[in-house]
Amino acid sequence: MRADRRLIDALRDDLGCIGTKEGCSIGVCGACSVLVDGKLLSACLMPAVFVSGRAVTTVEGLARGDELSPLQDAFIREGGFQCGICTPGQLIAATALLAERRRPSDDEIREWMMGNLCRCTGYHGITRAIKAAMA
Amino acid sequence: MTLAKSTLPDILETPEWRVEGRDKVTGAARYAADITRPGMLHAAFVGSPFPHARVASVDVEAARKMPGVRAVLTGADVRPARFGRRLQDWPVLAWDRVRFIGDRVAAVAADTVEAAERAAAAIAVEYEELPAVFDPEAALAPDAPVLHPDAAEYTYLGGTRPPRSHANMQGHVVHEHGDVTAGFEAAAAVFEHEFVVPRVHQAYIEPRASLVWIEGDTVHVVTTNKAPFALRDQMAVTIGVPAAKIVVDTPHVGGDFGGKGLSLDEFALYFLARATGRPVRSVLRYADELQLSNTRHAARIRLRTAVDPNGRITAHQGRVVFDGGAYAAGKPVAGLLPGGPTLTLAGYRVPAARVEAVAVYTNTLPAGHARAPSQPQHTFAAESHLDLIAHAMQIDPVELRVRNAIRAGETDVEGNVWHDSQAQRVIATLLAASQWGGTVGLDHGRGVAFSARHVGRGKTSLTLTLAADGSLEVLTGVADQGGGAHTMIQRVVARELGVDVARVHVRRGDTGHANVDPGVGGSRVTPVAGNAAVDAARKLKARLGELVLTLDDAARTAAPLAVTGEGEQNEHVFGTYAYSVEVSVDRATGCFRVVDAVLVADVGTVINPVAVRGQLEGGFVFGLGQAVMEELRLDDGRVTTTNLGDYKIPTIADAPSLRLVLITDAPGPGPFGAKSAGELANPAVGAAIANAIDAAVGARVMSLPITAEKVRAELAKREGYAPTSPDGTADSTAGRR
Ligand code: FES
Ligand code: FES
Repeated sequence: MRADRRLIDALRDDLGCIGTKEGCSIGVCGACSVLVDGKLLSACLMPAVFVSGRAVTTVEGLARGDELSPLQDAFIREGGFQCGICTPGQLIAATALLAERRRPSDDEIREWMMGNLCRCTGYHGITRAIKAAMA
Repeated sequence: MTLAKSTLPDILETPEWRVEGRDKVTGAARYAADITRPGMLHAAFVGSPFPHARVASVDVEAARKMPGVRAVLTGADVRPARFGRRLQDWPVLAWDRVRFIGDRVAAVAADTVEAAERAAAAIAVEYEELPAVFDPEAALAPDAPVLHPDAAEYTYLGGTRPPRSHANMQGHVVHEHGDVTAGFEAAAAVFEHEFVVPRVHQAYIEPRASLVWIEGDTVHVVTTNKAPFALRDQMAVTIGVPAAKIVVDTPHVGGDFGGKGLSLDEFALYFLARATGRPVRSVLRYADELQLSNTRHAARIRLRTAVDPNGRITAHQGRVVFDGGAYAAGKPVAGLLPGGPTLTLAGYRVPAARVEAVAVYTNTLPAGHARAPSQPQHTFAAESHLDLIAHAMQIDPVELRVRNAIRAGETDVEGNVWHDSQAQRVIATLLAASQWGGTVGLDHGRGVAFSARHVGRGKTSLTLTLAADGSLEVLTGVADQGGGAHTMIQRVVARELGVDVARVHVRRGDTGHANVDPGVGGSRVTPVAGNAAVDAARKLKARLGELVLTLDDAARTAAPLAVTGEGEQNEHVFGTYAYSVEVSVDRATGCFRVVDAVLVADVGTVINPVAVRGQLEGGFVFGLGQAVMEELRLDDGRVTTTNLGDYKIPTIADAPSLRLVLITDAPGPGPFGAKSAGELANPAVGAAIANAIDAAVGARVMSLPITAEKVRAELAKREGYAPTSPDGTADSTAGRR
């Protein structure tokens, strides 16, 4: 693979994992958030060769078979999305948050999720969903 | 969230589970950029570096020979193809003249995006610069450079283009009713103010994407356009292919906010697909979204209002100048102005009014529709204007609104008589919920803003089929841009038929399969498509009655049983809403923070409670962004905020809490009494904040966005000292990224 191939292109174009989305392309919107060995990263900034041999988790990997993760379920129940384009990134970021802190405070949620833009929900539904998932 | 009154103990009381929810949380949902075709090529474009120029020559020879390049087209290859939603004034590729920085002159199709972009960079274009005009008022001068000397050639869809008194006008309208002169003569006081609202972008997170291929004599289009039937019809005219031979498919749309009714790339992609015989795709880079696409119109709004001794409006005048940019193509409405151009005092009784609105060509990126077209501009002006009047007349701002808010039987600023009005109730509810008049802390202040938005009008149809397994399938042409339309349809059908929602499956069809639908927008989906869903369910019940069969028996013996439901909503009905916002202001820096916000909204019967809440919360934060931080900055026609780092939209840390009070028991014309919610919340946020800041520290900001810098400058004026100016722009809210 070429050294300048971005992880987002490798995921979407080479592997067909189109669940991960591209919005701003400059590391600002968080639509392309993925976990690399559990660490939250922007796939639009990351050269694909850097993740060679490491575990990449995308939104496709959050459910266990047919069973949605508590966060996925809560996003549906609490209005955590509307158009859904930011949702894969929001879910990945929130999954990383809950792995890091079992019961984040409101401020911790705000701080952690600041890198994931959503134009639809006004974020209230996302916050409710994260809280519901940790309940 | 409080419901003022609930009347329906049924399906509508249960929070909905989105029909597309599972797909959207598992990554299975397909958006236009996710769709590929075997042999697909990728497009790239060459845009003008000049705001206004003659295209002297385009040399594509070097580009054609580059590896992986399959086709290179210039304006000469597509002439005279122009596109647009109503007026087709935008050349697919410019052949003689470019009118804004980024206006396209050539297109490439190649095996990879990189190859296409390399080839585009190798195309040599010679331009002869023409005098450019960036200011709409300057463009209306008698000797201003004319942007569209060939306007007589342009196709106007659906009728005749209204007359204009200047070649640089896109659209011009004057509304007048009542005796305006008498109203001003009899007035106790007359107030006049001018407000300025900048360009802002819809800033959906998904950039436009499209894929076009030709199979036999049929053109296939996959697109982010939220109005697929309208795109099909526009495209038929642009490319000269009958509409019946164009199939437009809109998968999930990653946010619209009014912007995605205009397509940019699909037309050029058709010519590239025709030239290569291959599918061709284009996914806009976000930088192009911010530099090419149809933003909200910047506006300069002058309001002049006459009042009696009690502050009651006796007459009103308005003049509104919208910056339309280089093309009118993004505007779908007949007058070639943003929708509702003369609705300057929405929701008030105005016995006499004369309001003039004009949209003007300038050498800047084209403007078009954005969530509640015209209303964020007008509501900022109107609600600031009324607060200034209240202040001058020493009347409480809420009391002034109570005295003027429209009642049933009264006439509004556009001369419409309201048959029903919840305006007084909305304001009274806000008074109670916000503890208006109570004390606030030092340098804290409360601001109020009230407004109205129509319940959408239009016509659509859908089909409902009872299958042999007893399931019910709805086929609709309504696209999913995030509002929850398909879930709304599912719940309406299930409720009307008295069946479980799980039994109703809603499927979206492309333009080759579904019935014609005008597209998502104008607060139209719930009242119009919802009524079509009710009608379909009723027709199915009627058929069952004729057959004397139950649903289950009919499924066994008479399936498939299909009916077409029609929905139409033409009533002139408004939903009203009001905010109270409390801010705290730091006098030293002008920084301010929203510490409390209450929104009271008259939404009628709620079909999707989770979605209605989401629309209002989302509309609030959308409105907040456009009120205090967003501005698409231009420097001599060049957009300088070219990415989502420079064009800042609210993050989760910028979203204040919002208390919502819904009025749900005043039925509207939609299914079971529903009204609209999608455009109710965003327009009034700017004025509520401006009014709150003025109440807190006596600083009145007359333009959006309301930045700390502007607040501080106003404070300095009042305190009589000159501010020391910081470098760059000031942050206006706490905790931005
Ligand atoms: S697309 Fe990677 S952060 Fe926006
Ligand atoms: S759900 Fe549309 S951007 Fe977040």
